[in-house]
Amino acid sequence: MKVSIISLTCCAGCVSSFLNAGEALLEILSGDFEIVYSPTFIDLKEIPEVDLAIVEGGVRTQADENLIREVRAKSKVIVALGICATHGGITTLGNLMSVKRLLEREYTLIDTGRLPELKDLMYPICNFVDVDYYIPGCPPMPFLIVHSLKSIVSGKMPMRHQSVVCTECHRKIIPAKLDRLYGVYEKEVDPEICLVSQGFICLGSLTREGCGAPCPRAGFTCFGCRGPADSLLYRTRDIYALLVKVISKRTGIPEENVKKELYRNPFVFHTFTFSKFERFKARERII
Amino acid sequence: MKQEREVTISPTTRIEGHGKVTIMLDDSGNVADAYFYATEIRGFEYFLRGMEAERLPFIISRICGVCSTAHVLTSAKAIENAYSVEITETAKKLRELLLMGQIISNQSLVFFFLTLPDFWFPPAEDPSKRNIFQIIREKPEIGRKAITLRNFATQILDIIGKREVHIVSVIPGGLINPLKEKERKVLLKASENACRITMEAIELAKELFDKNWLEFRKAGDYKTNYMALTRDDSIEFYEGKVKVINPEGKTLSMFNSQQFMEYVEEKRFGWTYAKFAYLKALGWPNGIVQAGPTPRINVNKNAETEFASRELKEFKRKFGNPAHATLLFDYARLIDLIYACERAKEILEDENLTREDVRVKVKPRSGSGIGVVEAPRGTLAHEYRLTRHGRLERMKLIIPTQINNAAININVKNAAAEFIHGGEIKPGLLNRIEMVIRAYDPCIKCATRSVGESLCVEVRNFDGKLLKVLSS
Repeated sequence: MKVSIISLTCCAGCVSSFLNAGEALLEILSGDFEIVYSPTFIDLKEIPEVDLAIVEGGVRTQADENLIREVRAKSKVIVALGICATHGGITTLGNLMSVKRLLEREYTLIDTGRLPELKDLMYPICNFVDVDYYIPGCPPMPFLIVHSLKSIVSGKMPMRHQSVVCTECHRKIIPAKLDRLYGVYEKEVDPEICLVSQGFICLGSLTREGCGAPCPRAGFTCFGCRGPADSLLYRTRDIYALLVKVISKRTGIPEENVKKELYRNPFVFHTFTFSKFERFKARERII
Repeated sequence: MKQEREVTISPTTRIEGHGKVTIMLDDSGNVADAYFYATEIRGFEYFLRGMEAERLPFIISRICGVCSTAHVLTSAKAIENAYSVEITETAKKLRELLLMGQIISNQSLVFFFLTLPDFWFPPAEDPSKRNIFQIIREKPEIGRKAITLRNFATQILDIIGKREVHIVSVIPGGLINPLKEKERKVLLKASENACRITMEAIELAKELFDKNWLEFRKAGDYKTNYMALTRDDSIEFYEGKVKVINPEGKTLSMFNSQQFMEYVEEKRFGWTYAKFAYLKALGWPNGIVQAGPTPRINVNKNAETEFASRELKEFKRKFGNPAHATLLFDYARLIDLIYACERAKEILEDENLTREDVRVKVKPRSGSGIGVVEAPRGTLAHEYRLTRHGRLERMKLIIPTQINNAAININVKNAAAEFIHGGEIKPGLLNRIEMVIRAYDPCIKCATRSVGESLCVEVRNFDGKLLKVLSS
């Protein structure tokens, strides 16, 4: 099977994560899995026809869009690897600001004739092409990538993760009696109790499982880097109201007060997903 | 009519991020100018405004997935500097260990996956074969070595950082969790194995390097100032002072990390999204400076660990002090690797490492702070201004690739001048230019906090019409 690895606008963390798979990586490489194109590792300049294209990164420039369209035309299967490719990723925070302002602020000298034109927003790739499998995460864990790729290579549907991070977290949810919410450095974290019950804003109750909950297990709040879980991928679902309910229930703080505290904090929800997600029907393909 | 032509190389391959090179020819067909540029922008400096400082280190690591840990540590240091907090000794050691993990993971990636194919295969080899996957197919044990080294780094980042890319355990004030004795033992054992493999790796590299040295030397030795962290004239990654030397090896300045922005200035050009950093005192272009593996050796007299010290002395003896040849970056990178493995082992041998005092309480307040560490590609600095609630007001980042940007461009121009005469392009240009760029291991993702580029050569006539595309 011929494979290409494509990088659009991203941090290259997803391919790093793939390389961290260790022995499992060698096992994959020794099987029917020939990487024929990857600007990071291989000197080939032209995009070849392949059976499988692994795409990291989202679409920020016109060049990205042209590239992903060419890749789609030349690939049988496309896997969107990482939250930038699936939902837009961290760069979508830049969608709060117009491109013109972004460039004016810093790059007044830019000669746009020589550089690829920026698009109005940072988009996930599914806004431009059909995607066969989505593996969200920032970055997805090596075992998740390897297991999914193995299934895809053998033509099977990879195991899907539909529920929320809380199902993989060992912490005990208790109804607490708190008077306010806390930042991570305001107090020590109890090792056994749910972070929300301790007053921290953890997004585990909204976020797709499949990562093994490394952050909340360590005592750091979940940031939602795997994007929303299946049950939240409907237009009618109000994620914000849901989180307010969860926090209120687990901390004992009245909903009104929770809302006020959340409003003060501009970076709670959409750290990784602040973009247009065009194809809601794709949810059966999110791994 | 003036016949200006352009040669474009896009995408540059086997570097992190995508790059592009344009070479301008004058009317007689000789090289007039050459640019290596970044074609993307993400805008981290703007969209993170208003974020709470406690989340910053974790989010800012998204600038680069390859050197994410270096960004996390620099960021935490900058915030602690703004809050005037001193972290505990145990936390410092654990952080240094994380940084060693970062160095090992990055330098082994660059050596085995990106540059080794250049040494391994003759330049005439089919470019589609000139990659690590081919080497693994021919010699699986090389692949196994690369994977074992990366595994060790991954283990450090996973056990102490709690995630192997974009670690979460480092917060302003220290770390969230102490290290357990059981975990220390596991890592210590792995470190012994890693030390052995790096020694084998450097032997292999030296052999290949010696074989190709005459050829490599031609790739230029542009002399500039050099910058790196130092502590008592020894190589240092996490703390210490910033030292700058001139091309003759004389100390130009030595300053604390908090003064970094007083000494370093940035400059922009219209043709690239990446900025250029240079020494303020000397101005542009005299203040062009390089950072990274070779500068680390040039600036320092020794390394504190046994084998790294031996290799460093041998390096200085062979190539001079300071050493200038561009491709020596690839050699020096392995000395980093040895140092990092030995230093990691040294830190892990300390039983005090498992002490529980890894965190001090911090109180948000207004102010600004600078954090500096030695990242795999060179000196990395973050400067933040925080509001009184501990939110980000403004930030400025100086990234190693910005520091090396000028030197990369000049080296590319020199390489181009060697291969292009009177409009004739000699074969080998593409690979040479890419090797020069690859030596710096530039991270365009970091330099532009943005997207990347990759290398193909286009020859254009004066009105920009495409005449010819060279690609491998």
